[in-house]
Amino acid sequence: MSNDIAGIEDCDAMLVIGSNTTVTHPIIGLRMQKAAKNGSAIIVADPRRIELVDNARLWLRQRPGSDAALVNSMCHVILRDNLADESFIKEHTENFAPFSAAVAECTPAWAAEITGVDESAIEEAAHIFATAEKAGIFYTMGITQHTSGTDNVLALANLALITGNFGKRGAGLNPLRGQNNVQGASDMGCNQAFLPGYQRVDDDGARRRFEELWSTSLPAKPGLTATEMTDAILDDRIAGLWIMGENPVLSDPNSDHVRKALAKLEFLVVQDIFLTDTAELADVVLPAAAFAEKDGTFTNTERRVQRVRKAVSPPGEARDDLSIINLISARMHLGHHVAQPQLFSTYTNRCNNASCLTPPFPAEVFDEIGQAWPFLAGMSYERLEKGGLQWPCPTDDHPGTEILHANGFSRGKALFSPVTWKGPSELPDDAYPLVLTTGRVLYQYHTGTMTRRSELIEEADLGPYVEINPADAEKLGIADGDIIQATSRRGSISLPAQVTERVDSGVVFIPFHYREAAVNVLTNDALDPVCKIPEAKVCAVRLEKRS
Amino acid sequence: MLLLSQMKITINDSELTVKSGITILEAAKKGGIAIPTLCYVEMVSDSSCELCMVEVKGMAEPVKACATKVQKGMEVVTDSEELKTHRKDRLERLAKTHFGDCKAPCNLTCPGQINVQGYIAHVAKGEYEEALRLVMERNPFPFSVGRVCPRFCETRCRRILVDEPVSINHLKRFVADWCMTNKVDLKLGRESNTGKKIAVIGGGPSGLTAAFYLSKKGNDVTVIEAMPKLGGMLRYGLPEYKIPRNVLDYEINAILRMGISVRLSQRWGTDFTLRDLQDQGFDAMLITIGTWADQPLEVPGGTLPKVMSARKLLKNIAEGNPVELGRRAAVVGGNNIAMEAARSLIRENVDEVTIIYPRAQTEMPANQRNIREAEKDGVQFLLMASPTQVMEGARGLDLELVRMKLGEPDKRGLRLPEAIPGSTNILRVDNVITSLGQSALAVPLTGGDLEEQLELTPKMGIKANPRTSLTNLDGIFAAGDATSGPRSVIQAVVSARRAAENIHVHVNDIAKAAGEGRFNFTRGKSFDNVDLKVFDGINVKLREKMPERPSERSTQDFDEVRLGFTETMARKEAGRCLSCGCTAFDRCDLKQQCLDHGVDPGKSGMGKKPRYKLEHSHKTLLVDRDKCIFCKRCQNSCKYDALAVSATSFDTLDNPLDISIHFNEKCVNCGKCVDNCSTGALNKKDAIVPIINEKLRQVKTTCPYCGTGCQLLLRVKGDTLMEVTADPDVGPNYGDLCVKGRFGHSFIHHGDRLSTPLVRRRKGGPLDPASWEEALDFVAGAFRCIIDEKGPDALAGLSSARCTNEENYAFQKFFRALVGTNNVDHCARY
Repeated sequence: MSNDIAGIEDCDAMLVIGSNTTVTHPIIGLRMQKAAKNGSAIIVADPRRIELVDNARLWLRQRPGSDAALVNSMCHVILRDNLADESFIKEHTENFAPFSAAVAECTPAWAAEITGVDESAIEEAAHIFATAEKAGIFYTMGITQHTSGTDNVLALANLALITGNFGKRGAGLNPLRGQNNVQGASDMGCNQAFLPGYQRVDDDGARRRFEELWSTSLPAKPGLTATEMTDAILDDRIAGLWIMGENPVLSDPNSDHVRKALAKLEFLVVQDIFLTDTAELADVVLPAAAFAEKDGTFTNTERRVQRVRKAVSPPGEARDDLSIINLISARMHLGHHVAQPQLFSTYTNRCNNASCLTPPFPAEVFDEIGQAWPFLAGMSYERLEKGGLQWPCPTDDHPGTEILHANGFSRGKALFSPVTWKGPSELPDDAYPLVLTTGRVLYQYHTGTMTRRSELIEEADLGPYVEINPADAEKLGIADGDIIQATSRRGSISLPAQVTERVDSGVVFIPFHYREAAVNVLTNDALDPVCKIPEAKVCAVRLEKRS
Repeated sequence: MLLLSQMKITINDSELTVKSGITILEAAKKGGIAIPTLCYVEMVSDSSCELCMVEVKGMAEPVKACATKVQKGMEVVTDSEELKTHRKDRLERLAKTHFGDCKAPCNLTCPGQINVQGYIAHVAKGEYEEALRLVMERNPFPFSVGRVCPRFCETRCRRILVDEPVSINHLKRFVADWCMTNKVDLKLGRESNTGKKIAVIGGGPSGLTAAFYLSKKGNDVTVIEAMPKLGGMLRYGLPEYKIPRNVLDYEINAILRMGISVRLSQRWGTDFTLRDLQDQGFDAMLITIGTWADQPLEVPGGTLPKVMSARKLLKNIAEGNPVELGRRAAVVGGNNIAMEAARSLIRENVDEVTIIYPRAQTEMPANQRNIREAEKDGVQFLLMASPTQVMEGARGLDLELVRMKLGEPDKRGLRLPEAIPGSTNILRVDNVITSLGQSALAVPLTGGDLEEQLELTPKMGIKANPRTSLTNLDGIFAAGDATSGPRSVIQAVVSARRAAENIHVHVNDIAKAAGEGRFNFTRGKSFDNVDLKVFDGINVKLREKMPERPSERSTQDFDEVRLGFTETMARKEAGRCLSCGCTAFDRCDLKQQCLDHGVDPGKSGMGKKPRYKLEHSHKTLLVDRDKCIFCKRCQNSCKYDALAVSATSFDTLDNPLDISIHFNEKCVNCGKCVDNCSTGALNKKDAIVPIINEKLRQVKTTCPYCGTGCQLLLRVKGDTLMEVTADPDVGPNYGDLCVKGRFGHSFIHHGDRLSTPLVRRRKGGPLDPASWEEALDFVAGAFRCIIDEKGPDALAGLSSARCTNEENYAFQKFFRALVGTNNVDHCARY
């Protein structure tokens, strides 16, 4: 998020697009609802009638995969009606002309055709957003999990730029990160192209700094993304894989493909708290500690680094991930590589007891992170004891940064990127006439390894289901509660139907938490060409009532 | 300088600078002055509790602090006698309809005041290790007590009013045995060293209990035992078929692991005196010598060689010493030791064992359960008879007995047995075993000046003040059977635990913690007082039967007779608990306010019968309207407008009638209402363990679910996460949590958790448990092999958005710096 969570209540208007916030981020959803009660105008853009629609001034039901067209058209209206923040554009941005030319064609009439949203609604949305003094944009995977995911985000950035909604409270471009520490994992450089702190591996200067810090030489060629690894395994380019705390067999699109790849590996080690579907394929499974069993930090969606504290011991011989990494490092003894086999210079095996931490301790690693990335240099466990801090926090006395770009953009001027709408890679046809979109429910989380083992949650939840519009249900002879076979080009699952107006006709929705009806067996693993995100949010399916 | 938006007021004579626009209650809170309230919720003023009334100078009547805004120069009094009287009166009115039990009857009846309901609830949840830790808060002998306890608790179990009491003691034994079988290290913490030295004379249940709790508090304890092994009566008085030796050894070792020094085969009076111990620098001494002196059989022939005390017999058997026994034996006496002696004789192949007792069987001091077991083993009972002499006969002993009858009632109405003249006959036996009562000492102590000064009871016990555990000598304490005469193990444990508390405060010169108050709401002190409507809807479900070896087999050896519950049986049995005690015990504001204002509902009145049914229909909450005091904090704290509290009318005391707590479809099961409930009217369905003796630890951490980063308070007991809440003053969530944040953490203790590394030793084979050594070598070896053969880019790593920053940093560093590849990524795209 460019802004912070507390600031949501200050938004005069907000565009919530591709985010079922009250379900995926319930406490942020609560802040939005409170803002609405206090007069903030919420525009919800979502193919489903999500709960937040009840609190919204306006609901746009765009077709799945048509987001960029909708957003471009809003920009078109804003420019057409002279509602843009011209002084902001002049002072803080560049490349405006090509952008302006690109959206010139994106008339509401054009967008209405693609999105299914009325022209007047697009115009109203543009007006609400542009006339608000402070307007924030909030999105999640509904925007990004598309073959055009990068374009969708750029289109939203353009919208925030032309309305001058950066660098002030109650505004901003705010991706709501889905997992507790997805922000931190990215920050820490668990990415094939970036070292910690978003420093490119192919940037010689950056790499040299890390080579110095780590006293070793580093590879300059960017590696493979998680989504590319699957094919690389099948092509024999990757032989060994270490998966720490992931369950790609359930979470990734086109599960069967992933399963095939993992099975082909020469060597797979999985480190997790449960024997997941992925772990079952491993050659070695290492038992890890859960969040309440270790110390460390998570970074939340508003860039706030917060402490994680050990409350109980891990079960049996399970150990925290940091200790496991260190223990494996100590055994590597690579002849051709650096003399020093240990990952951290302070590493000494001070303790042989399985239940105790293997040094270096989290606080020591955190201090090294501060050396690696200046944005965290001003943080320490001691400071975090008093509460979380938002990066950038470069010095010991820096209070942290609630709002990014308050003093201008780090690259000088923000860049407009013209975006051309491209449809999803798979569209409905006669054989697969319905559009399937996926998402979450309030009670479950991701692949359910945790929530489905929490008794009360499982008790309160309804289990897997497919949402289908009454009109479609009638056509197919489906009644509420019927068991349905859902089939795509990649696979088939069966689950009960929920006949509801929440989805439009032609669209069906399935939550992805349930291994007994794993929707990612159906979804499309086609990738966004830039960031390699898969198109989990749109694919074509066929529904049949099971006899 | 005073800002425009600020003003000065005084509360109870202290001057405060406060913001304008806030209420007196908020101003006082900021100034560190607590105004009592039961219904206050930030941002909502709806004072129905009327506890926060304060006096404001210039106003005729007291006003509600929560609904009155501060004004410049306001002078507020919060604690006048009138206000206190008003509050007390108000609380008494609220208490009059509050219907529930603070503590369960089992807990109240247990001499050890063990949180019985708590450990049963742990068993029901499968948390056996935590159940045992909870028992050991108050009883370090769960294995022994779990086998021999007279079970006071079960006699008061309310389940009796439905069918049968819960088999509480078998559950205690189950958790102890389970932890032994599963080699659980309880990791019981010891407080930091006090530097004080304490000697405990006698290593039986009392001595070891005191040593355990004194040591836990950080004192340096030495146990001095006369016998070659520790355990006292548990080892030398209770036969192996009751407490197997390996179990007892395990139990004692677990106690000693607290860090206790032991001196064996050191007899007080012979090998050392109290003065010696003082000279050795002990700051205090505790006498827990038990009752090893036997009352002799005072009839002619009572000292013949084949006449022996039961205690001696049992000790000899325990030590493996040969005892010359014949075919027939008489046991004189009706106490518990007599029963064990008789049962042991049967196991020593004595064909005819007869217990002789001068009254009826029901009047025997032994536990009826023990009498029944002796009967089952084939022991005969000769009642209303008393020995008059023992004579050496041609073959064995001739025991002369006289028939007894009950005499006329004496002044107290007691009918003492008296001999029927001329009714003697002879019982031919080979051995006479006597168990006529035991005491600490046979003769007054000698051997040292302190010994001679030590005051004794008329029954030859050590005299100690029951409240302070002190003897008449400074720094010398006594506890257990030595002071009381023979009692049950749990009573010895209680006496010793109390002594340990007394000694700890004495040697460390600290104030004694306030004793546990008697404050208690109850749904009925005795069974007669309990309204049977309470049990509506509870189906009959008989208790689990303890598996036992049949008598014809079990009497052949000294192996344990009762085999213990299986896990399935234990879980089922625990499921029978009616959970009488309040799960809000540690958070109830009504109780706290009553205590603060000296309200005793036992005197001023409390609810006597149920007006409502317990509601189970909510997915995550249990609603008990009988405990509702209509404060409406649940409704006022709910941000989803998901519940409404209402009443049809009010009675003369202004208490609501026909309360309804209605949850509508907006409820998202976030559970915030429970955290705000001022009593136990709202309960989390999974928080079924009342927190009674030892408090919870609170650990601040970050939620592991979505990216919001809500701050959690993990409430932890021992090594178990009990409940999750949030601090209303800490962002980004400020006390709000979603259903996952509050209820989605029991996965941590789920049985599916991986607890050991697994290795697939051959392709296509199964995943087998392995040591860390093997697993780590396997991983590092495979990685090295791939790097050597195919280069570093043939390896890849997938990290996790679930893991910490430190772990993610280390992971990518491993791949980049050690392997030499950038093939590292995580799941940001899913």
